[in-house]
Amino acid sequence: MKLTKEEYKVLEDIVGPEYITQEPVIMESYNQIWGNKLAFGDKRHNPPAAVLLPANVAEIQMIVRYCNKTGILFKASARAFEYVATKLASERGILLELKRMNKILEIDVKNMHAVVEPFVTVWELQNAAGKVGLYTGKPGVGYTASVISLACCHQEMTISQLYTSGYGRNVLGCEWVLPTGEILYLGTAGREEGWFSGDGPGFSLRGILRGRAGANGGNGVITKCAVKLYPWYASTPMTYEMKRQPGEAISAAMLEKVPENYHVVVLTFPDTEKMMKASTEIGQAELACIVAPAYLANGVMEEGNDEQYAKMKDMKPQDPTKAVRSVPVFVNGHSTRELEYRKKAVMAVMKKWNGYLDPEYNDPRELAHRFQYQMWSVGTSMRPTGDFMVSIQGADGSTEMHLNYRPVEFDAFKPFVSRGSIVQPNMGMSYRPMEHYSLGSSGGIATGYDPWDPDSLAAAREYMDLVYDVNSPFKRFSYTNRGAMMQVEDIEHIHQRWGPIYDNADVWLQKVRNMLDPNRVADWSGYIPPEYAKEDKKAES
Amino acid sequence: MVENKLVKIVGKENILDNPETLKEYSGDCSFATPKTPACVVRPANIEELQGIVRWANEKRVPLVPISSGAPHFRGDTVPGVEGAVIVDLRRMNKIIRVNRPNRVAIVEPGVTFGELQAELAKDDMSAYIPLAPRSTKSVLASVLEREPILMPGLHFDSTDPMLCAEIVFGTGDKMRTGEAAGPDTLEKQWEIGKAQISPFGPTQMDPQRLVSGAQGTIGIVTWISLKCRLLSEVSHAFLVPSAYLDSLIQLSYKLTRIRFSGNIFILNRLNLACLLRRTPQEIAALNDKLPPWVMFVSCEGYGPLPEEKVQYLEADLKELAESYGLKSETAIGGVKAEELASILAKPSPEPYWKLRLKGSCDEVFFLTTQGKTPEFARIMAEIAQQQGYPARNIGAYIQPVAQGTSCHCEFDFYYDADNQAEAGKTRKVVAEMANKMEARGAFFSRPYTELVEVAYRRSRDTADMQKKVKGLFDPNGILNPGKLCF
Amino acid sequence: MNWENYEHDMIRCTRCSYCKYIPWRFIKNFNFIEGCPSAARYHWHAYASGGKFNMGYSLLKGKSSIDDTFLDVLYKCMMDGSCDISCKVGNDIEPLQYMQELRIKCVDEGQMMPQHQPFIRSLRQEDNMMLKPRAERGNWADGLNVKRAAEEKTEVLYHAGCRYSYDKEFWPIARAGVTLLQKAGVDVGIMGEEEACCGGRAYELGYVTEMDKFAEHQMETFRTAGIKALVTPCADCYATYKVLYDKVGKKLGVEVYHITQYLEKLIREGRLLLKKSLPLKVTYHDPCHLGRLGEPWIHWNGKEYKPKGGLMWLHDPPKKYRRGINGVYDPPRNIIKSIPGLDFVEMYRIREYAWCCGAGGGVIDSYPDFAKWTGAERLREAKAVGAEAIVSACPWCKRVFLDAAAKNGDKIEVLDIIELIQQTV
Repeated sequence: MKLTKEEYKVLEDIVGPEYITQEPVIMESYNQIWGNKLAFGDKRHNPPAAVLLPANVAEIQMIVRYCNKTGILFKASARAFEYVATKLASERGILLELKRMNKILEIDVKNMHAVVEPFVTVWELQNAAGKVGLYTGKPGVGYTASVISLACCHQEMTISQLYTSGYGRNVLGCEWVLPTGEILYLGTAGREEGWFSGDGPGFSLRGILRGRAGANGGNGVITKCAVKLYPWYASTPMTYEMKRQPGEAISAAMLEKVPENYHVVVLTFPDTEKMMKASTEIGQAELACIVAPAYLANGVMEEGNDEQYAKMKDMKPQDPTKAVRSVPVFVNGHSTRELEYRKKAVMAVMKKWNGYLDPEYNDPRELAHRFQYQMWSVGTSMRPTGDFMVSIQGADGSTEMHLNYRPVEFDAFKPFVSRGSIVQPNMGMSYRPMEHYSLGSSGGIATGYDPWDPDSLAAAREYMDLVYDVNSPFKRFSYTNRGAMMQVEDIEHIHQRWGPIYDNADVWLQKVRNMLDPNRVADWSGYIPPEYAKEDKKAES
Repeated sequence: MVENKLVKIVGKENILDNPETLKEYSGDCSFATPKTPACVVRPANIEELQGIVRWANEKRVPLVPISSGAPHFRGDTVPGVEGAVIVDLRRMNKIIRVNRPNRVAIVEPGVTFGELQAELAKDDMSAYIPLAPRSTKSVLASVLEREPILMPGLHFDSTDPMLCAEIVFGTGDKMRTGEAAGPDTLEKQWEIGKAQISPFGPTQMDPQRLVSGAQGTIGIVTWISLKCRLLSEVSHAFLVPSAYLDSLIQLSYKLTRIRFSGNIFILNRLNLACLLRRTPQEIAALNDKLPPWVMFVSCEGYGPLPEEKVQYLEADLKELAESYGLKSETAIGGVKAEELASILAKPSPEPYWKLRLKGSCDEVFFLTTQGKTPEFARIMAEIAQQQGYPARNIGAYIQPVAQGTSCHCEFDFYYDADNQAEAGKTRKVVAEMANKMEARGAFFSRPYTELVEVAYRRSRDTADMQKKVKGLFDPNGILNPGKLCF
Repeated sequence: MNWENYEHDMIRCTRCSYCKYIPWRFIKNFNFIEGCPSAARYHWHAYASGGKFNMGYSLLKGKSSIDDTFLDVLYKCMMDGSCDISCKVGNDIEPLQYMQELRIKCVDEGQMMPQHQPFIRSLRQEDNMMLKPRAERGNWADGLNVKRAAEEKTEVLYHAGCRYSYDKEFWPIARAGVTLLQKAGVDVGIMGEEEACCGGRAYELGYVTEMDKFAEHQMETFRTAGIKALVTPCADCYATYKVLYDKVGKKLGVEVYHITQYLEKLIREGRLLLKKSLPLKVTYHDPCHLGRLGEPWIHWNGKEYKPKGGLMWLHDPPKKYRRGINGVYDPPRNIIKSIPGLDFVEMYRIREYAWCCGAGGGVIDSYPDFAKWTGAERLREAKAVGAEAIVSACPWCKRVFLDAAAKNGDKIEVLDIIELIQQTV
């Protein structure tokens, strides 16, 4: 049963009739997202019982309290671009779309933070912050990603995390409507003196807000958040210098030059190991704001797939190993001296590891495109194959670990290579170093597949099953980032399988979840269920 | 009478219950009310610790974990109730690993800064060290207490430099956090290149945040991995004097904004004098020569072309200081910047610098924003004057943290603990100051003793949730009761 | 192509929501980031074209049916194509064409909007959608000394369009348009009372056969009259004649121009001299049907395939998607820039990614408040860039802007480009 008439009326009275609907046709636009086919076997999963647009915290509290009274499941989302955002564990579930809460409440320039509401996107914040010489990191997910979704609820892997960090480490406080309907302010959130700390008094409750990933809506609603900002040295936010030639498509509009106070270079090395070591050295010496090993994507897209394919066919045969021996390095400097030193030092590291500047990667226009693509939130596209999944979401850690991990993933992927039914760009390499490598790098290996090609879908599922297999070679590398990807708990049973070999972390997480949500109304599809439905595959000892 | 079970767990020689020892552990240099423990147990490893915790649960005996040696200052190691068992972790004193490629070390609770620095130096590394910690201070304890480090540009998060941890919760269960989690032992993890540097999780929570700043109320930590830094090949130190804290704060904002690479902090003249001189007379003499406020900035040259790096940092610093009407000097008032620099790399030489002036010190610190620190300094001076408290006995330490987005603001009240009137006055002034400052926006994020009540005044919701969290990880409330909001 | 043939597009919509916004590359002001009026005005994702893909998919799978809400969502849309442009920056799918087919399906199955019926009846009975008698069509040209193309041989036909023909307030502009052509020595005539609707609006509503009928009529009329070129001051008509007729396989047999293209040419050739200075700060609004919807149709007949060993979806033969590049954007701008004294400032949403005025897709008739809201948003943008006047090249745009300004008490001047030229020539 969805909602009774009375239940609908109560909810309608909270938000107003204009801001709630249960029209079947409209519900069908909240249950079809990329990745659904992989997860649920079809483009669509069950629709919500209703969608609401609350205006403010007070309305959200009332809704949540009512859910506690009636057992209606709820989940809040911003742009809902990932399928954990709309999946509900029961048909008696409602979505709270937070589009009316869309303000940048404050940018504290001196103390370098911003306070935002849930519907504020990274792009919006980047542009507003850029005007005052500040910056927020660039996530891979695209320009419409919500700042709060990234920082508190989902992932927050950014290309720039070498110097802008991520995975929740930029949260300086938040206003959190708990699954009970109470409000919790972390740290100094909400205080007149400013949102400058999210921790304490005493130990930090950010510890139960999220970990490597957030609860994906499963632990209430974050209605405001303060995020740390970083220096931005160009004279304009995103120079608004996107140029295209007459007759060119919009996708051809690109930045023409790297902004002042920045320098971009792509270094190529004799082998991957030297590239990784050089990257580590550059990062550890704090010479760069982005070091992106093997991440050669620069956002340049032909108009369409046909044009892209024609271009690929026309291209001279490429050395397939070159990309995985290369690393884009972005240098910034608050002063000319700083910039010049860093440029020189980067070159010194390059020489030390026998690197060179390949002309193909270092055309000035090409570097400008790269800057735009890797520094600013840009549009994302799944045009080539129709979908992608980030397979194991990599393992996080040291350069050496990644070099050891690579063959494991490589071997696991080998059987699929000849099938041609799923693809990994750059042979699966994609690392995002964090905090000048002091946290190592997070790995994110994008795998392209076509969900509507039965062979490709089958291969993708086989591969994911291998990745999720707790007895696979991946066992030693990573459970810590579960929840980060699009694992849907009632299907993947990630926690149930992996928790026991990770000090029963799942048991603790479940306790935390049930403590926060005693009446079990915060949807757990992207989090952990209140209890496991049945036995699942265990780890072999 | 010592429990037989405890004897079986740690061995008789590792249980202390003689009156002198119990007296030692019953109180500290703070104003916390002394409470006599039942005994002191000294586990050697995690298995023994888990045994102790399980026993404590059975018997409902409170445990008070301690990692540092005396003197203690903050009351967190003073039992909150009578009859608690002190768990002195100093037998667990191994530096488990130093890994240069990843600039990480793994230490047990009993490792001090002196020990760690000596070991790290062999690999040309240094810890991120707080301001001249006492020689008996545990590295692990300092990090768990969120003591601020001196390099704000590299202080990304409140938990820095902590990375991963091994924790025994109040239930006796253990957990390794972050990248350290998993089916392998640490050694086996090293085989595949893991270095326990990624701190997240496991999965959708960050347990290491729950033990950071917790004063041992959620779990007992048996080791942590922590970020270390490369030792500079070249390092030049500077002092920036000013009559006014406001001017220095402007410069500090700028330096932290550009993520200036080096140590950056501000002291008032008294604290600088206490750091540099040993006797009260020497301190007083130097105090008179120094300007009211001094910023310390170091230009650190590590990585490629270190001399060129330091050169540009120096030039930038000079220019920036001048833009605020300040000067970066290598010496002021007969004090060389390098003299202070040499102290910063190690724990404080004896006597501990905070005890040199009057023998005792009551620290009051909180988080705020850099721009508000002059206001707090003024409030401190006003209250001191109103209360007739000698301002010349109050030190100040301003440390930007979290890359300058907030600031540790500390006032050190030096007094003679043997002088009851002085002690009483200190206590009163501190209490009044804390109240006033809290009302003006000071955030007591790491509260101890009497400041706990002040800290939670506007954080009742946090307290409620913390109690629920404690209910999960320490359901029988055996870990350090009476601390924080418990 | 039948709506069911868009299943590939329905399933490939990723719900990125870019259809709601202008392309990120051109976002300059976050107060003017939205591209889709429907998604901006109405709260639910369904109102975006991505949501309509979802609607269609669940209809296809038998999970929903066409009800009042379905129609409301489908028809609260100007069919302006902003979503199409934004989507196609990164995708090879066809939101606009798909929504068009969905409308055709609804009409074919008798699922018609009651609000449309008076206008369709008027079209059928009086050859116009303005609810006015056919006999009054030529009144706008009363007293104008211009050839009647039905009676006198004329090479260039000035097609006023329904809005100009029947909106009395706009007659001076319609008259000025033809007068300017005459002044430049163009051998121009009008159909006057004999003029009929192009049928484009009806097509947009889903009434394919209506447009077919009018297309046949126009083809015959023009052939009979020996017309070589058609010039129209109405962007809607321009897009219908230039694009839609070609799309449905109706060969008009004449060159089709929007008046701005023709006037630009005349100015360039020195046949129209812009002498008087006009000190005014103006901005230009790209009418959808002149801009992105005015891009010539690209015929394609082929199939999808994947190359051997690959995963990319390709077409055989390769399919060139219409991404709005070849709409008419520069001629109006060139005209404005050549008028002495004018200070021209661009708005934030222009060219392919311009914000719609609110008139299209039947909205001006069936949801007038929504139309005015949309127009008001555009006026807000014009004022935000400091313009004293908003200039367009379509009477439907002007009508909505005027109505919105009147409703809100807006003082900004609303001009057609013909009026500008008229004041300066």
